[in-house]
Amino acid sequence: MRRVTPIKIAAVDLDVCDRCGLCLPLCPPESIHLESNTLTVDRESCTGCEKCVAPCPVGALAMIPLVPSPESRVPVHA
Amino acid sequence: MRDVDVLIVGAGPAGAVAAWQTKQAAPEMDVVLLERDRAVGTPVRCAEGVGDAGLREFANPDGADWVARRITDVIFQAPDDTEVVLSGSGLGWVLDRTRFDAFLAAQAVAEGAEVLVGAEATAMARNGDGRWHVRVKQRGSEEIYRARVVIGADGVETMVGRWAGLETRVPARDMESCAQYVLQGIDFNPDAIYLQFSHAIAPGGYAWIFPKGVGVANVGLGLVALKTDGRNARQYLDAWIAQRFPTGARTGYTVGGVIVHTTIKKTYADGVLVAGDAAHMINPLSGGGITNAMKAGRLAGCTAAAAIRQHDTSERRLSAYHKAWMDLLGEDHLKYYRIKQALEQMDDAFLNSLARTVNRIEPAKRTIGRVFAHALLKHPQLIPVAARFFV
Repeated sequence: MRRVTPIKIAAVDLDVCDRCGLCLPLCPPESIHLESNTLTVDRESCTGCEKCVAPCPVGALAMIPLVPSPESRVPVHA
Repeated sequence: MRDVDVLIVGAGPAGAVAAWQTKQAAPEMDVVLLERDRAVGTPVRCAEGVGDAGLREFANPDGADWVARRITDVIFQAPDDTEVVLSGSGLGWVLDRTRFDAFLAAQAVAEGAEVLVGAEATAMARNGDGRWHVRVKQRGSEEIYRARVVIGADGVETMVGRWAGLETRVPARDMESCAQYVLQGIDFNPDAIYLQFSHAIAPGGYAWIFPKGVGVANVGLGLVALKTDGRNARQYLDAWIAQRFPTGARTGYTVGGVIVHTTIKKTYADGVLVAGDAAHMINPLSGGGITNAMKAGRLAGCTAAAAIRQHDTSERRLSAYHKAWMDLLGEDHLKYYRIKQALEQMDDAFLNSLARTVNRIEPAKRTIGRVFAHALLKHPQLIPVAARFFV
């Protein structure tokens, strides 16, 4: 399925993130992953909807401008 | 590759009871319980409160080392701090979840289940052999576990449900963002839990004090992000504590999500069952999920054991679990959810006035039923709430 490329995508600040997993079921395209104690956002599928940002209890998620990167799933520091 | 009958992902109350009950129903089966963290019961992401009756179905709290405090009273607080005390409103407990979860896991081990800590399920796929192949990472190495039934008890993240193709996503309005401190050296009634409802303090949720001992309590709040002024849960909590317990020593801290929704539409798939928070089996009104998780774990374990014995782990066979859960508690949660939606409409001024109305009833006569009847009489705007409850 084709999707419109978002201008901004979600990024997590791993220094702030508590790994509670609250954001995972909030993500409509299921782009957030928690594995090996690291939260990652899949930049290919994130639609930039921001639904994960405000509910984070510690404010670890933010929207950042989408810039090309060779890695599709990386922890991005906001 | 290792073959097991039942693989359970997550060693919280749902998973540990599922392992324990599977082995009790079918001692011949290989049952493995995976815990991602290095110790069962850590980190604690919970206010640790539980009702007496539900708890006793699984364990005796009298004198148990996994109990922190026996609770006899509930104190509701209005936004303006007006207190409504319900004395002897039913016994409850504040647990020590680290010890309690370890106790439940030990019960599973005593029945013959195997518990693996520091073991993380990272993917699973159903192969042509009709079994789930689950990739498990432990101490840097990976192994495939081939299971007849996988029970997803993996909490709010609910990855097993997602891998099995179940709809486990949550609308933002039904996610409570929570933050909590363990506060020491604070003054409150250690035999009571306190619940404060206020849009200014905890919009869309409530703030709580759950005693762990004299002068020590879990002090936290849950809120719905859509209703906030832009601050996150921790910022709301810091503001509340600064005003209420400015001198309390913060000796612990946790955050997490509580799904205040209703049970997911489908808690089963071919060879898969999902239980506890992972299946949104939390009371949407109270946010309580411990005993619900244990009850679901028991149903899941018994269903899995029976299905494997009958050589039928199909979706159709496992749907018996969903029906049993809905009959037990799932249908009630639909009612509680409707009440929650109605209560969300009430503003702080109304809650203050409601608290004063209720306080006109003599404390000794203050049963939940009488409070409800009195409130309806004085505040007719509550009638639609009552109607929604009973419809």
